[in-house]
Amino acid sequence: MTDPKKAITEAEAIEQAKQGHEAAFEVLYHLHKRRVYSLCLRMVSNPAQAEDLAQEAFLQLFRKIGTFRGESAFSTWLHRMTVNVVLMQLRKKGLPVVSLEETLEADDEAPRKEFGTKDVKLTGSIDRLQLQRAIDRLPPGYKTVFVLHDVEGFEHNEIAQIVGCSIGNSKSQLHKARLKLRDYLKFMRAEKAKTG
Amino acid sequence: MTCADVQRVLPELIDGAPDGALQTDFETHLKACSACSDLVSDLKLIASEARQLAATEEPASRVWVRIAAELRAEGLIHDQYSDQYSDQDSEPESGPTRPVLVPASPRRRWSAWWLAPVAAALLAAGSYVVSHQSTPQVAKQQAPTASVTSPTAATPAANAPSVPTPAPQQLAQQKSPKPINITGPAVGSLVEPEPSAEDQQFLSEVSTRAPSMRATYESQLRAVNADILETQAYVDRNPGDADARQHLMDAYQQKALLYQIALDRIQ
Repeated sequence: MTDPKKAITEAEAIEQAKQGHEAAFEVLYHLHKRRVYSLCLRMVSNPAQAEDLAQEAFLQLFRKIGTFRGESAFSTWLHRMTVNVVLMQLRKKGLPVVSLEETLEADDEAPRKEFGTKDVKLTGSIDRLQLQRAIDRLPPGYKTVFVLHDVEGFEHNEIAQIVGCSIGNSKSQLHKARLKLRDYLKFMRAEKAKTG
Repeated sequence: MTCADVQRVLPELIDGAPDGALQTDFETHLKACSACSDLVSDLKLIASEARQLAATEEPASRVWVRIAAELRAEGLIHDQYSDQYSDQDSEPESGPTRPVLVPASPRRRWSAWWLAPVAAALLAAGSYVVSHQSTPQVAKQQAPTASVTSPTAATPAANAPSVPTPAPQQLAQQKSPKPINITGPAVGSLVEPEPSAEDQQFLSEVSTRAPSMRATYESQLRAVNADILETQAYVDRNPGDADARQHLMDAYQQKALLYQIALDRIQ
Protein backbone atom coordinates (compact mmCIF):
# COMPACT_ATOMS: atom_id res chain seq x y z
CA MET A 1 0.00 0.00 0.00
CA THR A 2 1.33 3.40 -0.88
CA ASP A 3 1.95 6.08 1.63
CA PRO A 4 -1.01 8.39 1.33
CA LYS A 5 1.20 11.40 1.86
CA LYS A 6 3.75 10.36 -0.71
CA ALA A 7 4.15 12.76 -3.57
CA ILE A 8 3.21 11.32 -6.89
CA THR A 9 5.33 11.58 -9.97
CA GLU A 10 4.25 13.18 -13.19
CA ALA A 11 3.91 9.75 -14.77
CA GLU A 12 1.61 8.61 -11.97
CA ALA A 13 -0.42 11.78 -12.31
CA ILE A 14 -0.79 11.17 -16.03
CA GLU A 15 -2.03 7.65 -15.46
CA GLN A 16 -4.49 8.80 -12.82
CA ALA A 17 -5.66 11.67 -14.98
CA LYS A 18 -6.46 9.15 -17.68
CA GLN A 19 -8.82 7.58 -15.17
CA GLY A 20 -10.47 10.92 -14.51
CA HIS A 21 -9.02 11.81 -11.13
CA GLU A 22 -9.40 15.51 -10.60
CA ALA A 23 -6.46 15.73 -8.26
CA ALA A 24 -4.21 14.23 -10.90
CA PHE A 25 -5.30 16.83 -13.42
CA GLU A 26 -4.59 19.46 -10.83
CA VAL A 27 -1.12 18.11 -10.18
CA LEU A 28 -0.34 18.27 -13.88
CA TYR A 29 -1.77 21.73 -14.12
CA HIS A 30 0.33 23.06 -11.28
CA LEU A 31 3.46 21.40 -12.55
CA HIS A 32 3.21 23.15 -15.90
CA LYS A 33 1.06 26.22 -15.36
CA ARG A 34 3.92 28.70 -15.15
CA ARG A 35 5.59 27.51 -18.29
CA VAL A 36 2.37 27.44 -20.27
CA TYR A 37 1.05 30.75 -19.01
CA SER A 38 4.40 32.48 -19.44
CA LEU A 39 4.60 31.31 -23.02
CA CYS A 40 1.10 32.57 -23.73
CA LEU A 41 1.80 35.87 -22.05
CA ARG A 42 5.03 36.44 -23.96
CA MET A 43 3.29 35.72 -27.22
CA VAL A 44 0.21 37.88 -26.79
CA SER A 45 1.38 40.41 -24.18
CA ASN A 46 -2.07 40.48 -22.64
CA PRO A 47 -2.74 38.75 -19.31
CA ALA A 48 -6.44 38.14 -19.92
CA GLN A 49 -5.82 36.64 -23.34
CA ALA A 50 -2.93 34.65 -21.97
CA GLU A 51 -5.19 33.15 -19.31
CA ASP A 52 -7.71 32.15 -21.92
CA LEU A 53 -5.03 30.60 -24.09
CA ALA A 54 -3.44 28.74 -21.20
CA GLN A 55 -6.84 27.42 -20.26
CA GLU A 56 -7.47 26.26 -23.80
CA ALA A 57 -4.06 24.61 -24.04
CA PHE A 58 -4.61 22.65 -20.84
CA LEU A 59 -8.11 21.67 -21.87
CA GLN A 60 -6.90 20.40 -25.22
CA LEU A 61 -4.20 18.46 -23.48
CA PHE A 62 -6.49 16.96 -20.87
CA ARG A 63 -9.04 15.99 -23.50
CA LYS A 64 -6.35 14.05 -25.32
CA ILE A 65 -4.50 12.73 -22.33
CA GLY A 66 -5.89 9.28 -22.93
CA THR A 67 -3.87 9.11 -26.14
CA PHE A 68 -0.60 10.04 -24.48
CA ARG A 69 1.70 7.06 -24.71
CA GLY A 70 4.82 8.59 -23.29
CA GLU A 71 6.94 8.39 -26.42
CA SER A 72 7.79 12.02 -25.97
CA ALA A 73 8.07 14.07 -22.83
CA PHE A 74 4.77 15.22 -21.49
CA SER A 75 6.08 18.76 -21.17
CA THR A 76 7.13 18.74 -24.82
CA TRP A 77 3.70 17.57 -25.84
CA LEU A 78 2.01 20.25 -23.76
CA HIS A 79 4.42 22.87 -24.94
CA ARG A 80 3.81 22.14 -28.57
CA MET A 81 0.09 22.14 -27.99
CA THR A 82 0.32 25.52 -26.28
CA VAL A 83 2.24 26.99 -29.15
CA ASN A 84 -0.34 25.71 -31.59
CA VAL A 85 -3.18 27.19 -29.54
CA VAL A 86 -1.45 30.56 -29.41
CA LEU A 87 -0.59 30.59 -33.09
CA MET A 88 -4.12 29.63 -33.98
CA GLN A 89 -5.36 32.56 -31.96
CA LEU A 90 -2.92 34.93 -33.63
CA ARG A 91 -4.04 33.72 -37.03
CA LYS A 92 -7.67 34.17 -36.10
CA LYS A 93 -6.92 37.74 -35.18
CA GLY A 94 -5.13 38.27 -38.47
CA LEU A 95 -1.77 38.80 -36.83
CA PRO A 96 1.24 37.43 -38.66
CA VAL A 97 2.89 34.55 -36.86
CA VAL A 98 5.90 35.15 -38.99
CA SER A 99 6.74 38.36 -40.80
CA LEU A 100 6.93 38.39 -44.53
CA GLU A 101 10.46 39.11 -45.55
CA GLU A 102 9.45 41.89 -47.93
CA THR A 103 7.64 43.74 -45.17
CA LEU A 104 10.51 43.65 -42.76
CA GLU A 105 12.27 46.75 -43.90
CA ALA A 106 9.10 48.79 -44.25
CA ASP A 107 8.02 47.53 -40.88
CA ASP A 108 11.37 48.24 -39.35
CA GLU A 109 10.53 50.45 -36.44
CA ALA A 110 13.93 50.00 -34.94
CA PRO A 111 14.64 53.10 -32.95
CA ARG A 112 18.36 52.90 -33.23
CA LYS A 113 18.76 55.82 -35.61
CA GLU A 114 16.31 58.35 -34.34
CA PHE A 115 17.10 57.87 -30.70
CA GLY A 116 20.59 59.14 -31.23
CA THR A 117 21.99 57.11 -28.40
CA LYS A 118 25.58 56.24 -28.20
CA ASP A 119 26.44 52.78 -29.32
CA VAL A 120 27.09 51.62 -25.81
CA LYS A 121 27.40 48.04 -24.89
CA LEU A 122 24.63 46.27 -23.04
CA THR A 123 26.77 43.52 -21.71
CA GLY A 124 26.26 42.47 -18.16
CA SER A 125 23.24 44.53 -17.36
CA ILE A 126 19.89 43.58 -18.81
CA ASP A 127 17.05 44.17 -16.45
CA ARG A 128 14.52 41.38 -16.76
CA LEU A 129 11.56 43.71 -16.64
CA GLN A 130 13.05 45.91 -19.30
CA LEU A 131 13.70 42.90 -21.46
CA GLN A 132 10.09 41.84 -21.07
CA ARG A 133 8.90 45.29 -22.04
CA ALA A 134 11.15 45.28 -25.04
CA ILE A 135 9.80 41.90 -26.13
CA ASP A 136 6.27 43.22 -25.77
CA ARG A 137 7.15 45.94 -28.27
CA LEU A 138 8.32 43.54 -30.94
CA PRO A 139 6.12 43.14 -34.00
CA PRO A 140 4.16 39.87 -33.79
CA GLY A 141 6.21 38.00 -36.37
CA TYR A 142 9.50 38.83 -34.73
CA LYS A 143 8.08 38.13 -31.32
CA THR A 144 6.90 34.67 -32.27
CA VAL A 145 10.28 33.51 -33.48
CA PHE A 146 12.18 35.19 -30.68
CA VAL A 147 9.97 33.76 -27.95
CA LEU A 148 9.99 30.30 -29.44
CA HIS A 149 13.76 30.22 -29.94
CA ASP A 150 15.37 32.33 -27.26
CA VAL A 151 12.81 32.04 -24.47
CA GLU A 152 11.34 28.62 -25.04
CA GLY A 153 14.30 26.87 -26.58
CA PHE A 154 12.85 25.57 -29.83
CA GLU A 155 15.29 24.88 -32.63
CA HIS A 156 14.97 26.65 -35.96
CA ASN A 157 13.82 23.50 -37.73
CA GLU A 158 11.06 23.10 -35.15
CA ILE A 159 10.03 26.73 -35.48
CA ALA A 160 9.99 26.46 -39.24
CA GLN A 161 7.68 23.49 -38.94
CA ILE A 162 5.44 25.09 -36.35
CA VAL A 163 4.95 28.47 -37.96
CA GLY A 164 5.28 27.38 -41.56
CA CYS A 165 8.36 29.21 -42.75
CA SER A 166 11.82 28.27 -43.92
CA ILE A 167 14.66 27.64 -41.51
CA GLY A 168 16.51 30.55 -43.05
CA ASN A 169 13.55 32.81 -42.49
CA SER A 170 13.39 31.75 -38.88
CA LYS A 171 17.07 32.56 -38.40
CA SER A 172 16.71 35.86 -40.16
CA GLN A 173 13.74 36.93 -38.08
CA LEU A 174 15.38 35.87 -34.88
CA HIS A 175 18.40 37.96 -35.73
CA LYS A 176 16.31 40.99 -36.55
CA ALA A 177 14.29 40.54 -33.41
CA ARG A 178 17.47 40.52 -31.34
CA LEU A 179 18.72 43.64 -33.11
CA LYS A 180 15.47 45.40 -32.35
CA LEU A 181 15.60 44.31 -28.76
CA ARG A 182 19.13 45.60 -28.46
CA ASP A 183 18.03 48.97 -29.74
CA TYR A 184 14.98 49.06 -27.49
CA LEU A 185 17.08 48.18 -24.48
CA LYS A 186 19.68 50.80 -25.27
CA PHE A 187 16.95 53.36 -25.71
CA MET A 188 15.42 52.40 -22.37
CA ARG A 189 18.79 52.70 -20.73
CA ALA A 190 19.32 56.13 -22.26
CA GLU A 191 15.90 57.28 -21.14
CA LYS A 192 16.52 56.02 -17.66
CA ALA A 193 19.85 57.82 -17.56
CA LYS A 194 18.16 61.04 -18.63
CA THR A 195 15.43 60.85 -16.02
CA GLY A 196 17.68 59.43 -13.35
CA MET B 1 35.88 39.82 -43.64
CA THR B 2 34.42 43.32 -43.30
CA CYS B 3 31.83 44.64 -40.88
CA ALA B 4 29.24 44.41 -43.66
CA ASP B 5 30.16 40.78 -44.17
CA VAL B 6 29.67 40.18 -40.46
CA GLN B 7 26.21 41.70 -40.61
CA ARG B 8 25.37 39.42 -43.49
CA VAL B 9 26.55 36.16 -41.96
CA LEU B 10 25.65 36.92 -38.37
CA PRO B 11 22.22 35.23 -38.41
CA GLU B 12 23.91 32.00 -39.46
CA LEU B 13 26.94 32.15 -37.26
CA ILE B 14 25.97 33.83 -34.02
CA ASP B 15 24.45 30.74 -32.48
CA GLY B 16 27.55 28.76 -33.22
CA ALA B 17 26.69 26.99 -36.44
CA PRO B 18 30.11 25.80 -37.55
CA ASP B 19 30.97 26.73 -41.07
CA GLY B 20 34.65 26.06 -41.37
CA ALA B 21 36.59 28.88 -42.91
CA LEU B 22 33.71 31.32 -42.69
CA GLN B 23 33.45 30.80 -38.97
CA THR B 24 37.18 31.32 -38.60
CA ASP B 25 37.08 34.55 -40.59
CA PHE B 26 34.14 35.68 -38.53
CA GLU B 27 35.91 35.11 -35.25
CA THR B 28 39.07 36.72 -36.51
CA HIS B 29 37.12 39.83 -37.41
CA LEU B 30 35.48 39.96 -34.02
CA LYS B 31 38.86 39.95 -32.33
CA ALA B 32 39.90 42.96 -34.38
CA CYS B 33 36.63 44.94 -34.40
CA SER B 34 35.22 46.12 -31.10
CA ALA B 35 31.96 47.35 -32.67
CA CYS B 36 31.14 43.96 -34.15
CA SER B 37 32.40 42.22 -31.05
CA ASP B 38 30.12 44.35 -28.86
CA LEU B 39 27.21 43.67 -31.16
CA VAL B 40 27.73 39.94 -31.02
CA SER B 41 28.17 39.87 -27.26
CA ASP B 42 25.04 42.00 -26.79
CA LEU B 43 22.97 39.72 -28.97
CA LYS B 44 24.23 36.68 -27.14
CA LEU B 45 23.47 38.34 -23.83
CA ILE B 46 19.91 39.06 -24.94
CA ALA B 47 19.48 35.44 -25.95
CA SER B 48 20.80 34.12 -22.67
CA GLU B 49 18.76 36.54 -20.57
CA ALA B 50 15.64 35.71 -22.54
CA ARG B 51 15.93 32.09 -21.48
CA GLN B 52 15.48 33.25 -17.89
CA LEU B 53 12.01 34.53 -18.76
CA ALA B 54 10.55 31.08 -19.30
CA ALA B 55 8.12 30.01 -16.62
CA THR B 56 8.34 33.18 -14.61
CA GLU B 57 4.69 34.18 -14.72
CA GLU B 58 2.05 32.81 -12.41
CA PRO B 59 -1.47 32.51 -13.83
CA ALA B 60 -4.38 33.67 -11.73
CA SER B 61 -6.03 31.02 -9.63
CA ARG B 62 -9.22 31.39 -11.62
CA VAL B 63 -7.58 29.62 -14.55
CA TRP B 64 -7.60 26.29 -12.78
CA VAL B 65 -11.11 26.95 -11.49
CA ARG B 66 -12.30 27.35 -15.04
CA ILE B 67 -10.38 24.36 -16.32
CA ALA B 68 -11.71 22.13 -13.58
CA ALA B 69 -15.24 23.29 -14.22
CA GLU B 70 -14.89 22.59 -17.93
CA LEU B 71 -13.40 19.16 -17.31
CA ARG B 72 -16.23 18.39 -14.95
CA ALA B 73 -18.82 19.63 -17.42
CA GLU B 74 -17.31 17.45 -20.13
CA GLY B 75 -17.28 14.43 -17.87
CA LEU B 76 -13.51 14.08 -17.96
CA ILE B 77 -13.29 14.27 -14.20
CA HIS B 78 -14.86 11.40 -12.40
CA ASP B 79 -16.04 11.68 -8.87
CA GLN B 80 -13.28 9.54 -7.45
CA TYR B 81 -11.40 11.62 -5.03
CA SER B 82 -8.19 9.93 -4.04
CA ASP B 83 -7.39 10.10 -0.37
CA GLN B 84 -3.74 10.21 -1.19
CA TYR B 85 -4.07 13.85 -2.09
CA SER B 86 -6.12 14.89 0.83
CA ASP B 87 -3.52 15.81 3.36
CA GLN B 88 -0.94 17.77 1.46
CA ASP B 89 -2.17 21.28 1.95
CA SER B 90 1.04 22.43 3.49
CA GLU B 91 3.29 21.14 0.76
CA PRO B 92 4.84 23.52 -1.70
CA GLU B 93 3.24 24.21 -5.06
CA SER B 94 6.19 23.28 -7.15
CA GLY B 95 7.45 19.79 -7.49
CA PRO B 96 5.56 16.63 -7.98
CA THR B 97 3.40 16.98 -4.93
CA ARG B 98 -0.18 17.98 -5.15
CA PRO B 99 -0.24 21.74 -5.18
CA VAL B 100 -3.36 23.14 -3.65
CA LEU B 101 -5.26 25.92 -5.26
CA VAL B 102 -8.60 25.48 -3.65
CA PRO B 103 -7.30 23.24 -0.95
CA ALA B 104 -8.53 19.74 -1.08
CA SER B 105 -9.96 18.31 2.04
CA PRO B 106 -11.13 14.86 2.82
CA ARG B 107 -14.68 14.36 1.75
CA ARG B 108 -16.95 15.49 4.48
CA ARG B 109 -20.67 15.41 4.59
CA TRP B 110 -21.50 19.01 5.15
CA SER B 111 -24.85 20.55 5.26
CA ALA B 112 -23.93 22.75 2.34
CA TRP B 113 -27.03 22.16 0.26
CA TRP B 114 -27.54 25.89 0.06
CA LEU B 115 -24.49 26.38 -2.13
CA ALA B 116 -26.22 24.87 -5.13
CA PRO B 117 -29.05 27.37 -5.33
CA VAL B 118 -26.62 30.16 -4.61
CA ALA B 119 -24.49 29.12 -7.54
CA ALA B 120 -27.51 28.76 -9.77
CA ALA B 121 -28.86 32.09 -8.68
CA LEU B 122 -25.53 33.70 -9.44
CA LEU B 123 -25.76 32.45 -12.97
CA ALA B 124 -29.33 33.62 -13.22
CA ALA B 125 -28.32 37.00 -11.90
CA GLY B 126 -25.50 37.22 -14.37
CA SER B 127 -27.75 36.27 -17.24
CA TYR B 128 -30.34 38.77 -16.19
CA VAL B 129 -27.96 41.64 -15.70
CA VAL B 130 -26.14 40.98 -18.93
CA SER B 131 -29.28 40.53 -20.98
CA HIS B 132 -30.75 43.75 -19.65
CA GLN B 133 -27.75 45.99 -20.15
CA SER B 134 -29.18 47.44 -23.34
CA THR B 135 -31.61 49.38 -21.20
CA PRO B 136 -29.64 49.97 -18.06
CA GLN B 137 -31.56 52.97 -16.85
CA VAL B 138 -34.90 51.22 -17.10
CA ALA B 139 -33.47 48.17 -15.45
CA LYS B 140 -32.13 50.20 -12.60
CA GLN B 141 -35.43 51.91 -12.05
CA GLN B 142 -37.29 48.65 -12.05
CA ALA B 143 -34.75 46.69 -10.13
CA PRO B 144 -35.24 46.26 -6.45
CA THR B 145 -32.00 44.94 -5.14
CA ALA B 146 -31.06 41.95 -3.10
CA SER B 147 -33.98 39.64 -3.37
CA VAL B 148 -32.50 37.61 -0.62
CA THR B 149 -34.97 35.37 1.04
CA SER B 150 -34.74 32.95 3.83
CA PRO B 151 -34.91 29.29 3.18
CA THR B 152 -38.29 27.83 3.74
CA ALA B 153 -39.18 26.73 7.21
CA ALA B 154 -39.35 23.17 5.98
CA THR B 155 -35.70 23.08 5.05
CA PRO B 156 -33.66 20.63 7.03
CA ALA B 157 -30.86 22.97 7.96
CA ALA B 158 -32.33 25.65 10.09
CA ASN B 159 -29.03 27.41 10.44
CA ALA B 160 -28.32 27.52 6.75
CA PRO B 161 -27.61 30.93 5.32
CA SER B 162 -30.07 32.99 3.45
CA VAL B 163 -29.95 32.36 -0.22
CA PRO B 164 -31.28 34.15 -3.20
CA THR B 165 -34.70 33.14 -4.38
CA PRO B 166 -34.41 29.50 -5.34
CA ALA B 167 -32.87 28.92 -8.66
CA PRO B 168 -35.55 27.12 -10.66
CA GLN B 169 -37.83 30.09 -10.91
CA GLN B 170 -35.02 32.48 -11.46
CA LEU B 171 -33.49 30.35 -14.11
CA ALA B 172 -36.75 29.77 -15.86
CA GLN B 173 -37.72 33.40 -15.72
CA GLN B 174 -34.79 35.35 -16.90
CA LYS B 175 -37.20 38.02 -17.99
CA SER B 176 -38.01 38.64 -14.39
CA PRO B 177 -37.68 42.30 -13.52
CA LYS B 178 -35.94 41.45 -10.27
CA PRO B 179 -32.22 41.09 -10.64
CA ILE B 180 -30.34 39.79 -7.68
CA ASN B 181 -27.79 42.05 -6.15
CA ILE B 182 -25.03 39.72 -5.17
CA THR B 183 -22.19 42.09 -4.64
CA GLY B 184 -23.67 44.54 -2.23
CA PRO B 185 -22.19 47.92 -2.98
CA ALA B 186 -23.66 50.34 -5.41
CA VAL B 187 -22.97 49.66 -9.02
CA GLY B 188 -20.51 52.09 -10.46
CA SER B 189 -18.28 52.20 -7.48
CA LEU B 190 -14.81 50.89 -8.08
CA VAL B 191 -13.99 50.35 -4.45
CA GLU B 192 -13.56 46.80 -3.34
CA PRO B 193 -17.00 45.38 -2.62
CA GLU B 194 -18.06 44.22 0.77
CA PRO B 195 -18.87 40.54 0.84
CA SER B 196 -22.54 39.85 0.47
CA ALA B 197 -24.51 38.04 3.14
CA GLU B 198 -24.16 34.82 1.15
CA ASP B 199 -20.42 35.28 0.82
CA GLN B 200 -20.04 35.91 4.52
CA GLN B 201 -22.11 32.90 5.40
CA PHE B 202 -20.19 30.79 2.95
CA LEU B 203 -16.84 31.89 4.34
CA SER B 204 -18.08 31.38 7.84
CA GLU B 205 -18.95 27.79 7.05
CA VAL B 206 -15.61 27.25 5.41
CA SER B 207 -13.86 28.70 8.45
CA THR B 208 -15.75 26.41 10.74
CA ARG B 209 -15.27 23.22 8.85
CA ALA B 210 -12.02 23.68 7.01
CA PRO B 211 -10.07 26.67 8.28
CA SER B 212 -7.20 26.01 5.92
CA MET B 213 -9.48 26.61 2.97
CA ARG B 214 -10.81 29.94 4.07
CA ALA B 215 -8.00 32.21 2.92
CA THR B 216 -8.06 30.79 -0.57
CA TYR B 217 -11.80 31.04 -0.98
CA GLU B 218 -11.88 34.48 0.57
CA SER B 219 -9.22 35.74 -1.77
CA GLN B 220 -10.97 34.28 -4.78
CA LEU B 221 -14.32 35.66 -3.74
CA ARG B 222 -12.81 39.08 -3.25
CA ALA B 223 -11.23 38.97 -6.68
CA VAL B 224 -14.34 37.85 -8.48
CA ASN B 225 -16.55 40.32 -6.64
CA ALA B 226 -14.22 43.13 -7.56
CA ASP B 227 -14.26 41.95 -11.15
CA ILE B 228 -18.05 41.90 -11.20
CA LEU B 229 -18.28 45.34 -9.68
CA GLU B 230 -15.74 46.90 -11.96
CA THR B 231 -17.16 45.30 -15.06
CA GLN B 232 -20.68 46.25 -14.06
CA ALA B 233 -19.59 49.86 -13.73
CA TYR B 234 -17.99 49.72 -17.14
CA VAL B 235 -21.05 48.13 -18.71
CA ASP B 236 -23.22 50.84 -17.18
CA ARG B 237 -21.08 53.42 -18.86
CA ASN B 238 -20.89 51.47 -22.11
CA PRO B 239 -24.14 49.53 -22.45
CA GLY B 240 -23.50 48.78 -26.10
CA ASP B 241 -20.21 47.02 -25.49
CA ALA B 242 -20.92 43.36 -26.19
CA ASP B 243 -17.48 42.26 -25.06
CA ALA B 244 -17.93 43.94 -21.73
CA ARG B 245 -21.32 42.32 -21.24
CA GLN B 246 -19.80 38.96 -22.03
CA HIS B 247 -17.03 39.64 -19.55
CA LEU B 248 -19.63 40.47 -16.94
CA MET B 249 -21.42 37.21 -17.62
CA ASP B 250 -18.10 35.42 -17.36
CA ALA B 251 -17.48 37.04 -14.02
CA TYR B 252 -20.84 35.89 -12.69
CA GLN B 253 -20.12 32.40 -13.98
CA GLN B 254 -16.77 32.55 -12.29
CA LYS B 255 -18.40 33.22 -8.97
CA ALA B 256 -20.97 30.52 -9.53
CA LEU B 257 -18.16 28.11 -10.31
CA LEU B 258 -16.45 28.99 -7.09
CA TYR B 259 -19.55 28.10 -5.15
CA GLN B 260 -20.02 24.99 -7.23
CA ILE B 261 -16.49 23.81 -6.58
CA ALA B 262 -16.99 24.36 -2.89
CA LEU B 263 -20.15 22.36 -3.12
CA ASP B 264 -18.33 19.52 -4.81
CA ARG B 265 -15.48 19.58 -2.38
CA ILE B 266 -17.26 19.85 0.89
CA GLN B 267 -20.38 17.84 0.47
